[in-house]
Amino acid sequence: MNRLYKSPPLLAGIAVLLAFSQTSLAAPPAGQLLASQCAQCHGTNGSGPGFDDIDGESAGELFHELLEMKNRRVESIMDKQARGYTDAQLLDIANYLAGQSNAAANTVSGTTKTSVKNKRNTD
Amino acid sequence: MSRLNRREFLKLAGLASMMAILPRAVSAATTAPRVVVCGGGFGGATVAKYIRMWGGNVDVTLVEPNASHISCILSNLVVTGQISMGRINIGYSSLVQKHGVNLVQGKAIDIDPNGRTVGVETKDGVIDLPYDHLVLAPGIDFMPADGNWNTEMTPHAWQAGPQTTLLKKQLAAVPNFGTFVMTVPKAPYRCPPGPYERACVVADYLKRKRRNTKVIVLDANPGITAEPDGFGRAFNQTYAGIIQYIPNANVTEIDSASKRIVTSAGTFTGNVLNYIPNQKAGRLVVDAGLANDATGRWAAVDPLTYGSTLYPEIHVIGDSQATGQPKSGHMANSQAKVCADAIVRALNGEAPDPNPVTASACYSPITSKSASWLTVNYQYNSQTGLMQRVESSFGEAASANGDNFEDMFTWAESMFADSFA
Repeated sequence: MNRLYKSPPLLAGIAVLLAFSQTSLAAPPAGQLLASQCAQCHGTNGSGPGFDDIDGESAGELFHELLEMKNRRVESIMDKQARGYTDAQLLDIANYLAGQSNAAANTVSGTTKTSVKNKRNTD
Repeated sequence: MSRLNRREFLKLAGLASMMAILPRAVSAATTAPRVVVCGGGFGGATVAKYIRMWGGNVDVTLVEPNASHISCILSNLVVTGQISMGRINIGYSSLVQKHGVNLVQGKAIDIDPNGRTVGVETKDGVIDLPYDHLVLAPGIDFMPADGNWNTEMTPHAWQAGPQTTLLKKQLAAVPNFGTFVMTVPKAPYRCPPGPYERACVVADYLKRKRRNTKVIVLDANPGITAEPDGFGRAFNQTYAGIIQYIPNANVTEIDSASKRIVTSAGTFTGNVLNYIPNQKAGRLVVDAGLANDATGRWAAVDPLTYGSTLYPEIHVIGDSQATGQPKSGHMANSQAKVCADAIVRALNGEAPDPNPVTASACYSPITSKSASWLTVNYQYNSQTGLMQRVESSFGEAASANGDNFEDMFTWAESMFADSFA
């Protein structure tokens, strides 16, 4: 059994376990569960593979885009998906996804002016 | 049959658990809560992955009889030969290597809800896996009509794999002036648009490769149950003269040898008989007495946790549960995340999220170059305790087109990765 102590992979595994057990004590971050519903089409944590990467945008950009999709005439599948959430839920989603990319100053104001990236909308 | 305990099994299987050989200094880790997941489809794979991602020190074991998952999503394109079987064959190596899920190849056969163990038949014998939470995601089982149904002769191809290959071979053998007969089960069934999608791509194949063929669609329902506009257009216009759609056709008898099917709308035969029977929860759920909804076919669950109404620590997700949400791979993935979140919270002594949202979106090929889509979201209604469809989120594509066809592969790639990688 002694040689187990010399096994780097095992020790690394223990370190990972300890790290996990510390983080597991906290309540889940707001928006984590809601934003996971984006992952079927945008990848786990919004980082692909899938449609437009959504983990690199600021919370303001994301929230603005989601609201625009929710309120405009339906043309794409996302315009329908956005209608499935309350505005407050969309805000939680935007804040959570923006936090995934470590983008600076991400807490949302909700009023950021930005262009909406949706290639299908101009069809 | 003698049963091995878990430690004996792990030793035998060469899976010596890290927990069992940890030095004393970190022995606290041996108290890691145990979650066992039965069924490695979209629901089971996703719940295993996300509990490991979100739960930290949780021992997650996935029990699955097959070495890999063959996706029903895109499988109609394998039937027509447009894509290969390899494209829908998804392995479990990422779940094991990247996410630390224990994989046990075997078939879960029984559950002891009081002792909190699940019996698994493996090549080394039957083992009992202990659990703190058990997640059941066994998909569907069939309720065939009377008669003599032999799946080796009359494929359903509603669980992808060898059945898909068999239907592909039979379709390829349809001659000029031939007939392809298929059924649509009575709702609820797996993948609401799926049978209509199959009718379309089969008709497209025959239209391109044969002369004067016919596709007879025998629907047990009073009308097209999903995307009625899009599939209605496809049946009446794109495939006019090829697809013959017959509603209210309940199957009463089937005979594989003569390829003869008796329904309330008449008796039919064809060169191919593709019988997709009515459905119920997977056998494990039924055998455990968990199919306790009003119909006795599906498992009643609390949609905040997907815990069974009989045993809250036994969760049922995906096609087998009875919340009334569509039975689809995307929806199974969606429910798996709500379930994973609830289990992780429960293990930390917290209540489940009071306002979960689930989603289903899918793309259906209509021809070999065009596709439609269908999408919907559900919100929890605290007054009724049910998941309620958000009407403004529910709808289908205005038309089938080539952009949707491309998007279908993007969606599938993303779904496969989010669930299994």
